[in-house]
Amino acid sequence: MKKLLILLMLLLPIAVMSQSALYKQYASRQELTVAQVSGFKLNDSQRVDVVIVVADDDAGWQKLTKELNIKGENGVVSWLGDTRKPAQRVKWTGAPVLRVVASHTRRTLAFYRVNTEAQYDALLDYQLNNMKQSK
Amino acid sequence: MTENEFDKLWQRAEAESYSRQLAMEYPAWRQKQRRTFSVVAALLIVVTTTVVLFTTQLRQPRNYEKVYCNRVGTTDVQWANLAAEMLME
Repeated sequence: MKKLLILLMLLLPIAVMSQSALYKQYASRQELTVAQVSGFKLNDSQRVDVVIVVADDDAGWQKLTKELNIKGENGVVSWLGDTRKPAQRVKWTGAPVLRVVASHTRRTLAFYRVNTEAQYDALLDYQLNNMKQSK
Repeated sequence: MTENEFDKLWQRAEAESYSRQLAMEYPAWRQKQRRTFSVVAALLIVVTTTVVLFTTQLRQPRNYEKVYCNRVGTTDVQWANLAAEMLME
C-alpha cells in the first residue's frame, strides 16, 4: 500500500506537468467542464493537443463569449488565436498558434494547438476531408 | 554364502548404487528443470503481452494519446470524438 502511494505521488507531478497552461487556466473555473486531448491524431504523422471548454450553462457561455470577443449568437465561429491570449486574433506566420473553434449551439470552445506548418496543413486537410465526407 | 543370500546382497547393492547416483544427480536435474520452467514462463508472458497489446490496438485504433478532464462523467473517447466533431461543424 505504501509503495502504491509513493508511486502515485511520483506520477502525479508528471501528469500535472503534461497539462497545458490553457487547460489549467480554465480547469480551475467552477462553471466550466474542461478536457485536454493530448496527441489528437490528424493523420498518420501529425498530432495536435486540443483543449475543449464546455460551459455548463448560458451564463457561463456568455462570460466566455465576452472574454474571447465572440460575436453573433448562432452557428460556429473560428479564428487563429495567440497561444497566451486566445482572444487576440493573429495571422499564420509559422509561429505556434491556437486554432479556436467556438460553437454557440454546443456552448463549446475547442483550442487546437498548432506548432508547425505541417500541423497547420494537416488540420486544414482534416477539416476539408471531413467536409467532403459529410456531403 | 548360499545362492539365495548372494542374490539378496546383489539386489541390495544394486539398489544402493542407484539411490546414490540419483542423490548425486538430483540437484543438477532440479536446477535444469527450474531454468527450463523460467524460460517457458518468460516466453509465455512476452507472447501473451504482445498479442494482447497488438490485438487491442488493432481492434481500437485510438485517435488520441491521453485525455485530462477536470470532471468525471465523460469518457476519453467521447472527448476525442468531440475534438473531431468541432472541426466538422
